[in-house]
Amino acid sequence: MADESSGPVASRRRALMLGAVGASAIVSIRPALAQTSASVINCEIPVPDPARAGSYIAADGTLVPAGTPGAYPPPGASFKAEDVKRALSGGTLPGTDYERSRAYTNYIRRLQSGTSGFTCFASLQMPRG
Amino acid sequence: MRHLTHLRIGPIGFRVGSDWRGPIAALENLYRDYPAPEDGIPDFNVHLFAARPWRRLLRPSVHIGGDFVIPDAAPLPLAQGLLAAEMGMNLQMALGQRRFLLLHASAVERDGQALLMTGMSGAGKSTLAALLMARGWRLMGDEFALLDPATGLIHGFPRLISLKNEAIAVLERALPKARFGPVLKGTPKGTIRHLVPDARAIAAMAEPAVPKLILFPNYGFAAAERAVPPSETFVRLTQASTNYVALAERGFDALTRLVQTIPARALDYPDTATALTQVERLWEAA
Amino acid sequence: MTRYRAAAPETLRVVPLDALTLIYHRASGITHIVDSPVPEILEVLAARPLAEPELMARLSERFELVDADAAALTARLDELVATGLVERLCAI
Repeated sequence: MADESSGPVASRRRALMLGAVGASAIVSIRPALAQTSASVINCEIPVPDPARAGSYIAADGTLVPAGTPGAYPPPGASFKAEDVKRALSGGTLPGTDYERSRAYTNYIRRLQSGTSGFTCFASLQMPRG
Repeated sequence: MRHLTHLRIGPIGFRVGSDWRGPIAALENLYRDYPAPEDGIPDFNVHLFAARPWRRLLRPSVHIGGDFVIPDAAPLPLAQGLLAAEMGMNLQMALGQRRFLLLHASAVERDGQALLMTGMSGAGKSTLAALLMARGWRLMGDEFALLDPATGLIHGFPRLISLKNEAIAVLERALPKARFGPVLKGTPKGTIRHLVPDARAIAAMAEPAVPKLILFPNYGFAAAERAVPPSETFVRLTQASTNYVALAERGFDALTRLVQTIPARALDYPDTATALTQVERLWEAA
Repeated sequence: MTRYRAAAPETLRVVPLDALTLIYHRASGITHIVDSPVPEILEVLAARPLAEPELMARLSERFELVDADAAALTARLDELVATGLVERLCAI
């Protein structure tokens, strides 16, 4: 992951940011299926995520209207070849890109609902008598 | 179980037993062109049963059982027995499938390559798949796509297409000569009508396809598109899978390979005509 | 002094993707999606267990650390310990 960048190692260390104390850098995939009937009963309909193609991502990962100050354009639009290459070989740069990366991580975190897609769907189709 | 039928959908064989003739008759009618389980051996059992013997006749209500169950699930009225059978089969797949990574996505095939469409219920993946079938794509499935971790190929699960509410009229107009099941009103999801996949979909059900494009359609917005990066596609697909965690490292490898290999696009669309044009263009460009 | 040890490399399947990295942890069967500096910290801790000051020093050698803040590093380590990707070794 931490590839050496091109050029003499001594003079070209990649930038790294540890990040804010409260800003989590990890999202864990929660189990797809709750084993207990109680969990299935408590299933809620995941909040529909319109994933509007033109929306921007705010720092906390929510979607906001395009152009909202402090929010970032959708990841797809900005992941050009050089961005991807830089991300793969060098991670994020400090400042704006770090914040954008954290906003994106929060957006990814919010994609997870309480229980996974089909289980919730199945239990909604079969409401408790 | 006094009434019994067997059928195969894609690579999966089912044995469905029932306390009533009705649901079995409906299955045998609508699935009449489908093959039997391979070697006669079903992968899963579904049971449609009455809670008490007298409930077979008095206010008959159908409880759904099988190899895999959701405890205390509410029963359905006998009039919706076909739906109960479908739910029973879905449940076996959702809870018991271990060979394939199960994706909650519709799939259609052209030239040996598969288009996957996934998203929340109501986003349009089933309706769009049915309309693409009407346009000559081979339908692989309206609800589930199976990813084989060993090969990376997509296998179809072409069950009866489950159309809900407004989508019913749309498909009745698009495919006036197709076979439809009964209109089922007052179900937990509104009005449902099943559409039988066409002869080509049934004949080719055992043929997998190479995945080419993933779409996340969103119905009811002005037309817009964006590229979805692999990390986001990965997380969305784990949310759309019922057995990702159970498949452990095989599942991880299969899904990472998929998102690294093929492009994904989010698609907002105001109506199906617009969506179909967008889909054809995105497919050519992928 | 308390030291931190990363899960053995053979227990981790690491797949970098666009801006985030996927990590499948064989021991727990859990998939984590992680942002920088997590992959970098795991790599530095892979060789041998380190205490926080040593880890900070190593990271500063290898990378241009924009914010060499001890509290931030502690937060990242707490997070990693909570997920099981890093183990906290207390000196007896």
